[in-house]
Amino acid sequence: MSTVTTPVRFTRELREICGAGYVIEDPDRLERAQILGVTPAVAVEPASTEEVAAVLSFANVQGLSVVPAGGFTQQQKGNVPSHIDVLLYTSRLTGVEHYDPGDLTIGIGAGCTIAQLSSKVGADGLLFAGDAPLPERATVGGLLATSMTGPLRHGYGGLRDYCIGIKFVTGDGRKGKGGGRVVKNVAGFDMMKLLIGSWGTLAIITGAGFKLFPAPRQTRTFVAGFATAAEAIQYRNAVLRSPLSPICLELVSPQAGALLPGGGRAGKAWSVYLRAAGSEAVLGRYRTELGAAIALEIDGHNEHDVWRAMEDFSNTLPEHYPDSVLLSLSLPLADVQPVLNELESVAASRGLTLATIGTVGVGRLLAGLWPATGSKANLVAAVSAFRDRLPRDASATVLHCPDEVRTQAAAWEKTPTHFDSMRAIKRAMDPKDILNCGRFLF
Amino acid sequence: MNLHGVVDDLRKIVGQDAVLDRPEDVMLYEYDAGVRKSTPGAVVFPQNTQQVSEIMRIASANRIPVVGRGAGTGLSGGAISQAGGLVIAFSRMNRILEVDVENARAVVQPGVVNLQLSEHVSHLGLYFAPDPSSQKACTIGGNVAENSGGPHTLLHGVTVNHVTGVEVVLPSGEIVQFGGKAAESFGYDMTGFFVGSEGTVGITTAITVKLMRKAEHVATLLGVFESVDDAARTVSAITAVGITPAALEMLDGWTLRTIEAFCHAGFPLDAGAVLLIELEGLREAVEEQAVAVSEVCMRQKAREVRRAKNEDERALLWKGRKMAFAALGRVSPSYYTQDGVVPRSKIPGVLQHIGEVGKKYDLIIGNVFHAGDGNLHPLILFDMRNAEQFERVLAASYDILQYCIDVGGSITGEHGVGMEKRDMMRRLFTDEELDVMISLRNAFNGDEVLNPEKMLPMPRMCREIMGASQNAVLAREGM
Repeated sequence: MSTVTTPVRFTRELREICGAGYVIEDPDRLERAQILGVTPAVAVEPASTEEVAAVLSFANVQGLSVVPAGGFTQQQKGNVPSHIDVLLYTSRLTGVEHYDPGDLTIGIGAGCTIAQLSSKVGADGLLFAGDAPLPERATVGGLLATSMTGPLRHGYGGLRDYCIGIKFVTGDGRKGKGGGRVVKNVAGFDMMKLLIGSWGTLAIITGAGFKLFPAPRQTRTFVAGFATAAEAIQYRNAVLRSPLSPICLELVSPQAGALLPGGGRAGKAWSVYLRAAGSEAVLGRYRTELGAAIALEIDGHNEHDVWRAMEDFSNTLPEHYPDSVLLSLSLPLADVQPVLNELESVAASRGLTLATIGTVGVGRLLAGLWPATGSKANLVAAVSAFRDRLPRDASATVLHCPDEVRTQAAAWEKTPTHFDSMRAIKRAMDPKDILNCGRFLF
Repeated sequence: MNLHGVVDDLRKIVGQDAVLDRPEDVMLYEYDAGVRKSTPGAVVFPQNTQQVSEIMRIASANRIPVVGRGAGTGLSGGAISQAGGLVIAFSRMNRILEVDVENARAVVQPGVVNLQLSEHVSHLGLYFAPDPSSQKACTIGGNVAENSGGPHTLLHGVTVNHVTGVEVVLPSGEIVQFGGKAAESFGYDMTGFFVGSEGTVGITTAITVKLMRKAEHVATLLGVFESVDDAARTVSAITAVGITPAALEMLDGWTLRTIEAFCHAGFPLDAGAVLLIELEGLREAVEEQAVAVSEVCMRQKAREVRRAKNEDERALLWKGRKMAFAALGRVSPSYYTQDGVVPRSKIPGVLQHIGEVGKKYDLIIGNVFHAGDGNLHPLILFDMRNAEQFERVLAASYDILQYCIDVGGSITGEHGVGMEKRDMMRRLFTDEELDVMISLRNAFNGDEVLNPEKMLPMPRMCREIMGASQNAVLAREGM
């Protein structure tokens, strides 16, 4: 399916804003930039926040829909855009606004890739904790918009904990800012929080500032194997109650383990992967505390590869199983076990295969479901049945699904947060609803 | 606005004894721990969310300005009413509604005192991490409104990092929920937006907070330095060796001598400055870090590094730190605390500047602050009865804040913008950036019934209401 949306009658103005070389009208290139089957009418590559503001002001007046784009690693997730008049690439917004390793902060353009950012600060022994899938392509802006961080979430918190400043342009073309370049700052509304995870529906992020961390000098990964999910969750609880503070703590189901390097290393059905940082004495203490459940220790390249595979999991699962539904869940800690049980029962009763992986120490879970044999019909029923059984404070969304399931998936989002208040925020920042129409929430 | 016309209606909602409107009663609510005053017309004490909702409906219908108030320990005027406005005081909504150990959460009413929550869950090995110096008195509702910090926010973050959900009464009276017990909730992060909105979006009536597990091992070090400059340089030298202490506080010589005379915390009387450094975590890691931090201090010309030998010694050092403000009360009738923030590497420069500002305006300025975060608290001593001196105090504090802005910092790290720094917001944000924030506030509080004239500045033409001293500073800078 491919839909060219609007006749191109506004490219002259866009060329005046961005320069002729930065307005893409080539049908082949636009075709390659389609999002869930919808092809943009035109694409632009503005060079500055001012140019982004000019594009959005123009689009707002003309009523054109605009979709921001970074490295295109997460664009095929979420709902189908209703139409795309202008695809706005952040690829030229890559400048470093401030960086002093002694401050442990950096301010950088939204188009910078995560790999570039990590390598820049890594050279000074620092760590950027936003471990996005596909970091060579994923951008700072895209990571913030989707909040798709990986296993480091356990030890370093989420983006909301270490994004200290943000620059953006609202749907009606106003240049906005939140925070700044210091690690502690309560002047004005916390715009970072609103924009993180807003999937580009409130504003286009043009730059951001982050708190950095000293990079661990040595890490090791301990893998514990369990016969059942219940035992694995008990083990998680024991780790959370212990004095240990691992940087990663990941639960891996048997089918998810098969997608990791070494495929289910612990030799048992369920695994808990725990990554610790510190001296030999500190790692020795981990070994003692973690006890006999540890089946394997990994370090060096093998360790790097296994965590990289976990970071990329939300992208590799749909690649391996295009007919899968991939759910993203955020749960209170005590709900993880019952939700895993529900998933297993729903999958088993409808002939579906289930793979789950999750940063379960903070209640995050990714669950992939796909038909073991051919038919996708059961997916919709399974997903609906599961949704009805979610606990009160659970949040859930569908990251990926086959086209046949998509119309059902749009109505599937669940959150404890008051919907009309979110709508009020949307109206204040994008009054004409031109940003990422139809893709998220509204 | 006609507050007196609705006092009877308020009494019907909350009961006869839960509304104060006699001048001698409401006078007690005219100030906070800052320097501004304004007398409310009435103070109402709701006991539950439903009552707050009904109060808000009446206030909105009658355009009566409303401000929520916890313990009144704020330093930026956040809880001060407009003259003749309505204060909703939360001292009767002070229950811990739920302690959920499995999920490491507690749900509390806004009037619960910060330290009370930690004490309540202490036997479970848990605590609530944000620890403002006023934690014995300040309420969690106030912490949420101002996004309060404290010494241990260096490692654990400020209030927003510890709140996962809020029940909110909007100006319309509608009761809504943002987030819940999960660490993150799908959709816009309304909880994160609400925390630190300084009472301008809604009033929280129940707060879901994270409970942290107490560290296995703690080391508390006192680095003693001959000069402020040596201590200041040590701050970034510690982070440069890859260590993030749980807390890293600095006290200059004048301040520590003042504290020592008050509470005998064991600070050396002849030091130029001290760093109070706390490390926490796994025993093995903490012991290694304690050695490394001591070495860094010595390399940066520390005279000595002491270590608290037991919990009593540790408690005494922290008592000294947290009683700093009280100690100043002995030597000066009033003091004014600022809350500027600078990047860590700019700490030596800003301390030098504060020294110069003290000389220039002929004022005594002490420094006791969260050095690890670059969050300054210059304490300027004055006598409120001396109007001319107070003008100099304000001018000096704006001078310091301008320096913070110039080196890439902020005007507030944890106290909030409130009344006093509202017009300084223009120096941090452009009109367009402020307009975005104003449109967000107006999406919920368009009539400015809730906490009017706080945080976000008024349009430019209204600048004449500002103090003479601030105008002078602005004029000097060509603004």
